[in-house]
This record gives sequence, structure tokens and C-alpha cells, in this order.
Amino acid sequence: MEHVDVVCPFCGCLCDDLEITVEEGHITGIKNACAVSRSKFLNHGSHRITSAAVDGKKASMKKAVKEAVEILSNARRPLIYGLSSTECGAISKAVEIGEVTGGIVDNTASVCHGPTILALQQVGESKATLGEARNRADMVVFWGSNPTAAHLRHIVRYSVMPKGMYSTEGRKGRKVIVVDVRQTGTTRLADKFVKIKPNSDFELLQALRATVRGDELPVDEVSGVPMKEIKELAEEMKNCKFGIVFFGLGLTQSEGRHMNIDAAVGLVSELNRHTKFVLTPMRGHYNVAGANTVATWQTGYPYAIDFSKGYPRYNPGEFTAVDLLASGEVDAAMIIASDPAATFPADAARHLAKIPTITLEQKTTPTTMLSKVVLPVATAGVEAEGTAYRMDGVPLRLSKLVEPPKGIHSDEKVLDMILEGLKEVAQ
Amino acid sequence: MRKLVLKPKGFSKIPIEAEVISPDIIGGKTLPEVKALSVQYGNKVHSLSEFFDVGGRIAKTPDEQDIVVDGDASHVKYIGKGMTTGRIVVQGDAGMHTGSQMKGGSITVTGNIADWTGAEMKGGLLRVLGDAGNLLGAAYRGSSDGMTGGCIVVNGSVGSEVASFMRRGMIVVLGDTGPFTGVHMNGGEIFVFGKVGRRAGAQAKGNGGFIACFGGIDELLPTYRYDTTFTPTFMRLYLRQLAGNLGIDVATSYIDKPMRRYRGDLAVGGNAEILVAEKA
Ligand code: SF4
Repeated sequence: MEHVDVVCPFCGCLCDDLEITVEEGHITGIKNACAVSRSKFLNHGSHRITSAAVDGKKASMKKAVKEAVEILSNARRPLIYGLSSTECGAISKAVEIGEVTGGIVDNTASVCHGPTILALQQVGESKATLGEARNRADMVVFWGSNPTAAHLRHIVRYSVMPKGMYSTEGRKGRKVIVVDVRQTGTTRLADKFVKIKPNSDFELLQALRATVRGDELPVDEVSGVPMKEIKELAEEMKNCKFGIVFFGLGLTQSEGRHMNIDAAVGLVSELNRHTKFVLTPMRGHYNVAGANTVATWQTGYPYAIDFSKGYPRYNPGEFTAVDLLASGEVDAAMIIASDPAATFPADAARHLAKIPTITLEQKTTPTTMLSKVVLPVATAGVEAEGTAYRMDGVPLRLSKLVEPPKGIHSDEKVLDMILEGLKEVAQ
Repeated sequence: MRKLVLKPKGFSKIPIEAEVISPDIIGGKTLPEVKALSVQYGNKVHSLSEFFDVGGRIAKTPDEQDIVVDGDASHVKYIGKGMTTGRIVVQGDAGMHTGSQMKGGSITVTGNIADWTGAEMKGGLLRVLGDAGNLLGAAYRGSSDGMTGGCIVVNGSVGSEVASFMRRGMIVVLGDTGPFTGVHMNGGEIFVFGKVGRRAGAQAKGNGGFIACFGGIDELLPTYRYDTTFTPTFMRLYLRQLAGNLGIDVATSYIDKPMRRYRGDLAVGGNAEILVAEKA
């Protein structure tokens, strides 16, 4: 069977033009996908966890869910974390579990684009969809982001190559600028590469903004970039018709963090006195934007949400997973579609091994290995339907292409079983 | 003043939220009532006496109430939150949000203090004899009103984003400050006798606000412009007050010392001042 316009659930681009052939319940052909997507689709069935487990021993789903319910209902400070690689239905259930248990709900934004959110809450944002970028942009700035490594089809589908309604010349009609601390695949495609000293993005952004305002700065260079070049860049930016800044972890995770984004938003808002300019974060995990959006619908806050008092409170740094684990504050954890044991700092990961941890996952990971309860789940977008939000905030529908292995349910279903169990205990 | 003594019954990894440790709440109550005050421990509510030995005397009114937290309270959050009068002394470390949104009275912490101390403070005096964490006297996330009054004095060093979105009030740091001191500052006064961290005054609009640096500054933003070296008269008055009223003796040694004035943040068309004392 042929499926067309399939949405790819493997990075924040959510390319929605895949063509997938399914024969006898297996994916046998893929068109339009990038190498990452192709390999993930074709290998989604291998090395799967086939059975639930408690304390490293195989257990029935029912028993494992019961164990999870017990852990969560006895916990004083449970943490629910992950959520960026699953669909919105599951995220919504996880938030509800956070409320029922009086726990903390956090998603992976707290270790990637959390600073972006902090800044946008502080100073607002001027944004556009990837469709607008494709159809209108004549200047594209990649700041601390490298789509050739992290978002393979971004350049071809949205930002650099495509011909659009008003960008009829495609690549030729676009000026591509890369600001980064080193040469990358993206710098090779660029018309201009602005190489800056590490951890000095903030200064350059501020200098650019002041220059766009018309101030003569009393310095010869900023962040390793000569003032002459900064002036040229400011002029070019002012004179484009529709500019867009795609920024990545090079900006959010270098010194200054949310203040870098604060400064980037400031620059973009200044440029809007002269022309149309917008900015968009390059979100990595395919539905991390959805995790923020769903949490915001339900609680008013995008991540780092504490329900201990029965109502939601928000404070990144206080209610974020890494901080809570490193200080040893949480006494139980449920991890959904994420692998903190592999990605968190050592002290935080170590604490996860000390407390009862419940993990919902498809394949064996460092996190499942240290978990007390492992619950196997279906892959959203391959074996289960759902909704995901693209990096620019556009929701897209994920399809179910094949059946999950026998006895294995979606994240949403498993979370619902846990939630029902918790509600019963509460009565 | 009547002195109530709260002795923490040991450290706990799960923090305790105890905004009830405030003269406004304790003054006028009976001892059993105070013991039964609610504190948050993880997802459950407990009574104050489960975590503290409660003894001493209770005043009839909050302004007569003196509270001593006798021991390590680094796991206790929100001590003195929103208090308007009376006095709290913590003999040891204190946790996050101590004195946040306080309006009057005084808090002294003899040890170190965690993040968000004196956040969005409106009045009163908050003194820390040790070091402070990040976001001292800062605005809570999403708010554009930081400190609007009162005075914070830290004898040690402080972390990043001290006094973010400050509007009015005063912060004095005898040690060093971390990056982004006075970020988005829009009024208020910051005095630093140690070294001021990177990116001070970022996005500051000014509005009469200044950062006075007596122990040097790491690196000024390119969007601050030098305009003059002078000996500001108002600084003499401030320094005398710091020495006389707050016992900050080191202040006297800078009286009438010339200061280099920088203005910015030009990125936002700001007119805030960073004043750097010339090396003697
Ligand atoms: S770029 Fe991202 S969304 Fe597009 S096909 Fe590749 S992995 Fe999938």
C-alpha cells in the first residue's frame, strides 16, 4: 500500500511530503526522506523492547502499570520528563498525571530551547511559518545553527533552495548569511560567513542592533568581527525585503543563553523599523514545540511546571529536570520518549538511577537500563496516530502506517492506563 | 521586640516552602497556632512544628515580632516572603526566594543564600553576610517589574542577573557579581565593591539608574560609550550613607575618588550609567 504526504516524525522540520510503501505490514519503500529519516523508518522495528519489565525482569503490562502507579502515588516529589518525541495526546495525559500526583512536569526544552522561551516571554517575538520563509524570504541568517547536520531537508524544502510564490529565483534570489564560531556544512553554502569568537554572540547582536539604530560604536571590532563588516551586515539586513533568522543551540546554549535570544529578538524588532524581519528557533526533537504548546494550553506554562500545591507554578532553574535531579530533590521519575541518562550531566543522571524510575520507550537506552519499570510503547507517526507541532508552531497530523508489535500500545494509551490507576488509588 | 526561635530539625532534600515564617503571619498568634501553621513539603502540607522546634515568645503585633531561624535553612524556601514589618534573622544558610516581594521590616541571613533572594522586593532591608545565588532582587520570569524599593546588602559575592528589570531601590555587593548585573535595569542603584561581571547593564534603559563599580569591571559591552571622568557629588552622599547607616566602612575610602562614566545600553537607546572608580 502506498501512503502519500506522510509527515516525518524524526526532526523539528516535520517534512510532510514523504511517500511510503507498506507491504505485508512492513515499510519497504520511502521517497523524499533524508538519510536520517529513511534509516529511522526502515529500522523502527529492530531491537525493540518486546515486553514490559519491573526490576529488570519481564512482567505483564498490567503488573508493570500497577507498579508505576504505586511508585507515583507514593512519591512526594515525582518528576515527569521528556515528551518531545511523542505526540500531543500523550503529552496532554502526562500533564494530567503531573497534576494528579502533585508532581513536576518538564520537557526537553529545558535543555535546548528553554532559554528561547524565557526570552520570548520577556521581550516577545516576531515570527513566521516556514511556508512564509519559503515563499518570501530573500535573506536567510543561520545564527548558531547548522541545518546540514541537524535538519537535513530544511535547506532544500524551506529556507535556501526552494522557489516560492514571491521568491521565484530560488537560491539565486536569496542572500544566505551564517554566523557561527566555526566552519560547518552550512557555512559552505553561505554567501557570507561571519566567524565570531566563542561565547560572544550577545555582544555582536547588541552591536548590530545599535548600528541598525544608527549609533556609531566607539570600538574597532566586536566579537572578533571588524566594525566595518558589522556596518555592512547591518545595511544588508536593513535593505532586504523579507529576512529571517534561524537560530539554534549555538545561541541558546552558549554564554548568555536566554539573553542571547533577548538580544536577537531586539535586533529583529529594530530591523522591523526598516523592513520585514522575523526569527524562528531551529527546534530539534520533532515535537518539542508541541510539548511546550500542549503544556501551555493546559497549565499556562510551557515547561518547568510544578503542581505540588495543586495548581501550576512555573520557574525554570527551580522546576527544571536537570536542577531537580542534580540536587537530589525528586524521589521518583517517569520518563517519556527521552533519554536523560545519556544526555544529562553525570550527577543528574546518577540520581535518576537511585530513585524509582519509570520509562516509556521503544528501544533499550541508557535510561531504560537504569529504570525500575520499563513500559514498551508504539512509535508515534509510524505505529500510532497523533498530532505534532513543527518548529515554527504549525500543527501537523502524524499517520499510523503499520501495526505496533503485539500487545504494545501508544504512549497515550499507556499513560492513560497509569492515569486511571492513579485516580483509583486517589479514591 | 519578642523573639520566637525556630530550630530546623535537620536538612531535607525535598525543600520546605515556609512563607509562614514571617512576622506578619506569626505576630498576634498563640504558640500552638504557630506550631500548626502550614508548610509545603513536596506534594503534601505539614505543620511547621514537624520541621522546626518552635520556642520563645510571640508578640501581640507583627512589628514587635523578632523571628530567629537557628540553624541551616538552606532547604527552606520563601522565608519572609511579602513581609511588611518586624525582623527575621537566619543563623545559617537560607533557601530560594527568601524575602521575595518583601515590603518592609528586615531580614538578616548570616550564611549563604540561594537564588531569587529579594526578588521583586518593594521595601525593607535584606542583609546577607555570606554569598548570594543568581537573580538577587530580580524580576520573576515574564515580569518587567523587578525591585521597586528597599535595600539589599550582600557581604560576599553574588551570581548572575542581579537586579534584572530593577526600577527603584538599592543593592550593595561587597564581593563580586556574576554576568548580566543590572540587566534590563530601568532605575535603581547598584554598588559593587568587588569586581563586576561581564555584560553589566545589558539592555538597560536607564531612567536614572546606575551601576557603581569600585572594584573594577570585567569587560564593558561595546554598546556602552565612555563620556567623561568626574567626581560626582551625589556619590559622596551615597558613600557616606553606606558607611554611616549600613556600616559599610570600605565605602569611605572611595569618597571623592574620580569615576569614569559610561552610558548605554546603546542597543536599546538607553541612558543608564556605569560608573567605574579610577584605580588609586
Ligand atoms: S529533515 Fe527532518 S523531518 Fe525532514 S525528512 Fe529529515 S528527519 Fe524527517
